[in-house]
Amino acid sequence: MAAHPGEHHHPTPLQYVKIAILLAVLTIIEVALFYVNEAADMGGWDAPLLVILALIKFVIVVGWYMHLRFESSTLSKFFTAGFILAMILYAVVLLTFGVIALGS
Amino acid sequence: MEAAAAMDHHDQHESTGIDHRKLGMWVFLSSEFLFFGALITNYLLYQGQPGFARPYPAEIYDIPFTSFSSFALLMSSLTMVLAHNALARHDQHATRTWLLATAMLGSVFLGGQVFEFTEFITVGAMKLTTNPAASAFYMLTGFHGFHVLLGVLMLLTLYGISRRQGELSEASGLNLELVGLYWHFVDIIWIVIFTVVYLLAGTPAGVG
Repeated sequence: MAAHPGEHHHPTPLQYVKIAILLAVLTIIEVALFYVNEAADMGGWDAPLLVILALIKFVIVVGWYMHLRFESSTLSKFFTAGFILAMILYAVVLLTFGVIALGS
Repeated sequence: MEAAAAMDHHDQHESTGIDHRKLGMWVFLSSEFLFFGALITNYLLYQGQPGFARPYPAEIYDIPFTSFSSFALLMSSLTMVLAHNALARHDQHATRTWLLATAMLGSVFLGGQVFEFTEFITVGAMKLTTNPAASAFYMLTGFHGFHVLLGVLMLLTLYGISRRQGELSEASGLNLELVGLYWHFVDIIWIVIFTVVYLLAGTPAGVG
């Protein structure tokens, strides 16, 4: 039987370990950034950098460990829609109460 | 015409080709973004407000300790996916080993959280009702810890079933996949909490 067009092979155990090492390195960078900012104020650059690092870790776990990138697009749509809707909803709340601000 | 109508009717009820339980789990996890999003937002609303009784959570965080427990939870995602991979290879012994390792790493995280809460309450003098920021912090991290506890119980249940039956059946294999999805989700929520609540923690001007 021919393989399904959208079918992909999951990573091997070694690839999973490599992904874990990458996640560990990203975590070390996050904590290091925290201390660098404590020692010498990074002028607000720590926040976007930390958010980007967290997002990278988030995408790696969802994509490779939860296998979302190998699954049906229907699952991706459900999951991504929930995430984006929640982000929009709470961004509006935080903007409304002035916890975050647009621009400087 | 009738045939076309029948075909159209058929299409509307076409199967997604995805196991309903798996689809249900993904939809459930998607809805959990709203749950944890509300708790994180609640914390962010109070953490920077002045005028509350001290201490604020950010004043008493122990970042090295929380980094260690975060690392344990992060690595539990590796052992979880290795359990899933071992079952796909029909290696029942390795499946049990990785399941147990995942439950143990989850327990390390939970133990760390119990220790952290105890330290905050007894040494840091930050109780649940000390101020709204503290309440929001305990609600958020406590509910996350409760999710981890449920995950550990599900992992140990799978481990017990595997020990008793000698192997995990095909039906149990799907259960392992669903538990795995839940476990990884708990991990990604902590990735967000660790960054937003701990590393980007804020206090009102003049505090901390």
